Amino acid sequence: MATVPHSLNDKSVTRSFKEKTGKMLGVNPQDAKFTKTYMFVAFAALLLGGILGLLQGLNRAGFMELSPQHYYQVLTAHGLLLVVVFSGFFCIGYFYAAMSHTLGGLLPKVRKMAWTGFALKIAGFVLAVIPILMNQASVMYTFYPPMAASPVYYIGLALIVVGIWLCCFGAFIQVANWRKQNPGKHVPILSFFATGVFVLLFFGSVPVAIEVLVLVLPWSLGWVDTINVMLSRTLFWAFGHTYVNIWYMTAVSAWYVVIPKLIGGRRWNDTLTRVVVIALVIMNITGGFHHQIIDPGIEEPIKFMHVFMSLAIGFPSLMTAYAMFAVFERTSRRQGGKGLLGWYKKMPWGDVRFLAPMIAMIGFIPAGAGGIAQSTNQLDQVVHNSLWITGHFHLTLGISVALTFFGISYWLIPHVSKRVLTRKMNRFGVVQTILWTVGMIFMSGAMHTVGLFGSPRRTAFTTYFDNATALSWNPYMTLIGLGAILLVIAAVMQVYAAFNLMFFAPKGEEEFPIAEAEVGDVTGYWTERWGLWVALLIIVVAMAYVIPLTDMIVNAPPGSPPFKTW
Amino acid sequence: MTQVFYGLLLYIFLAMPPVVHFLESIMVLHMHMQMPMLVASGFFMAPFFQKRFPQFFSKWNGDGVPGIVLFSIIMVYWTIPRTMDEALTIPAVELFKFISIPFLAGVPLRDSWMKLSKWGRHVVLIGFTLLFIVMGLLYVLTPVQLCNSYLVIDQFTLGWGFLTTSIGMIVYLIYAFVVDPSKYEGIPPEDMSSSDE
Ligand code: HEM
Ligand SMILES: [Cu+2]
Repeated sequence: MATVPHSLNDKSVTRSFKEKTGKMLGVNPQDAKFTKTYMFVAFAALLLGGILGLLQGLNRAGFMELSPQHYYQVLTAHGLLLVVVFSGFFCIGYFYAAMSHTLGGLLPKVRKMAWTGFALKIAGFVLAVIPILMNQASVMYTFYPPMAASPVYYIGLALIVVGIWLCCFGAFIQVANWRKQNPGKHVPILSFFATGVFVLLFFGSVPVAIEVLVLVLPWSLGWVDTINVMLSRTLFWAFGHTYVNIWYMTAVSAWYVVIPKLIGGRRWNDTLTRVVVIALVIMNITGGFHHQIIDPGIEEPIKFMHVFMSLAIGFPSLMTAYAMFAVFERTSRRQGGKGLLGWYKKMPWGDVRFLAPMIAMIGFIPAGAGGIAQSTNQLDQVVHNSLWITGHFHLTLGISVALTFFGISYWLIPHVSKRVLTRKMNRFGVVQTILWTVGMIFMSGAMHTVGLFGSPRRTAFTTYFDNATALSWNPYMTLIGLGAILLVIAAVMQVYAAFNLMFFAPKGEEEFPIAEAEVGDVTGYWTERWGLWVALLIIVVAMAYVIPLTDMIVNAPPGSPPFKTW
Repeated sequence: MTQVFYGLLLYIFLAMPPVVHFLESIMVLHMHMQMPMLVASGFFMAPFFQKRFPQFFSKWNGDGVPGIVLFSIIMVYWTIPRTMDEALTIPAVELFKFISIPFLAGVPLRDSWMKLSKWGRHVVLIGFTLLFIVMGLLYVLTPVQLCNSYLVIDQFTLGWGFLTTSIGMIVYLIYAFVVDPSKYEGIPPEDMSSSDE
């Protein structure tokens, strides 16, 4: 742990960085303000969401009384704050910073669109939160009908989607403009990732917009009496799954581009990196069905087909795993490391900017394996709606995504705030990362295990009248509670670090670490054919969804009236 | 030559009885999954034939037009409801399907696509987009069963499969017409067609 990140507080490195990028590439103050605002909102949401998570964890451990009614209120807010606000805002703030940095500053028009999007999202979020606070919307972030919330909640969600679209189109304009001004050049890799993410974000949110505007909103307003439950669930997951993969892709972008720089190496093959992005964009949306493996009303052949479609997304992930180890090995050999695993000794483990995303990547190995298991019908029947699932996504989101985001925040926030990450703050970050990791291992590990034993997710603490099986879960529930305590400490530390780096850290220049491609690595221009990728995306989605959707609409059972179950 | 091998592998996979049975049990998979994948298998196997019979291809398919016409005829033939029925009931027709689509559609497609001009490609794409829209409307709007082997709901699903696929194709066509690649890629448009793919 003695390795000290070489660029921390190191004036000479900072200066050479400055010279290299030139003055015009220094952070544009207006763009910096945009990203700072997004980061501020994201980490404020982490703080609130984390505290709510603690309440849930303590309740499930039996440490704290929480009426079932309040449990669902808290759960809805926890889900919304963390997946819609924290991950969503972080992702957009990060990619807008990346575009500003690599494409020579945002266009004024784009900045205006993105700010309008921001305002819409905040307005939407406020509208969504009011009914939650008034206990009118404890439908959880999945808002499955026939549970019905107050219409205000759905209007809020719709506004958030429109805000996201504005940010997507802003990004498209930014990238198209850059390409026009730089004919023949490849879009810089991070902006390439951004393009892919915003394409997915747009197309992925179309189904949920249809769900909310066409199905749910008229029904919750009482304009129509019933709703097609299966159809709404299907539209939700076409979005929900894609949305999750967007954060994953955001994290992956840092693994491919930022980590090699931090270990003093170069990037993996540029063409294949872009192919991973394209493959994820084309094949992603159809994966949504794996969230419905146990749903009735979908024929077996279709479920079978969708196992393939889900596993297809695993392929680019395996490429990613290969790529990362290839980069580690190559870099360490260049620095004199020996053997297949010699890289282990050469890595800057003491640098939080590296440590956090590295643990995130390692965490993705069991997380991905669990995901593959869940894509299998028979295995999923064992864990469906159990705490295993909650354990799974706290591993994928809480470790792979959130830790990468935390790692990014330690350089991105000072970068946009014109401050530096000091040694002291780095050490603080290392401690915080370890605490978070240990907390997640406790909580997620216990959730996985007790889920296998049958403990359901989304349930307040109960012993089921002292049923023996339910009582046997209790030791694991205690571990969940302990994990939650460690996690919330780490979350508070992270939020402190983020705000400190934003407002109080010493002034200076912090590097935006982007690794170069290998010398002589030439990329085919065909990778830039976004029109073709979008057309393929639409065709793949059409193929995957046409059978089940037609079936669900034509052979629909009687619809359901709204229910308030809480 | 690895792609020839993968093409052959795909072909063998598609010809395996359980796969055939599964893909043909649902109308839209029959037409929109099995058939395009058969085309793809031929597309990948094409270099094998192109290397073996170069004179044949240059003599008969010099500008790519005969090949693409053959491709179009074969593909249009297989959109006729009756041909699908026959493929299911008459083994000889099924055999013809497994020969005609990869070798008389997939192979010429590969040989022709590279030879066609940008406009030639657009004409083909527009033609198939229109065909898809018409077939889609036909299958969505027809109230009676067109195939003996498939139900009306299968037909309806296939119709929407055609229509949604055509949306993807329209998006691509709009992109191809609106976006001038020379503005982005710094190469004149003529060079583009040869450096394509
Ligand atoms: C302070 C750290 C955290 C703690 C203590 C925590 C704890 C929990 C607990 C106990 C549950 C409820 C399980 C149930 O009853 O079904 C839960 C649900 C959930 N958590 Fe967390 N969590 C934390 C961080 C995160 C993060 C970082 C994310 C995502 C970025 C996240 C996303 C979710 C989601 C989506 C749910 C499901 C909500 C639902 O079922 O509707 N959590 N969390
Ligand atoms: Cu998913």
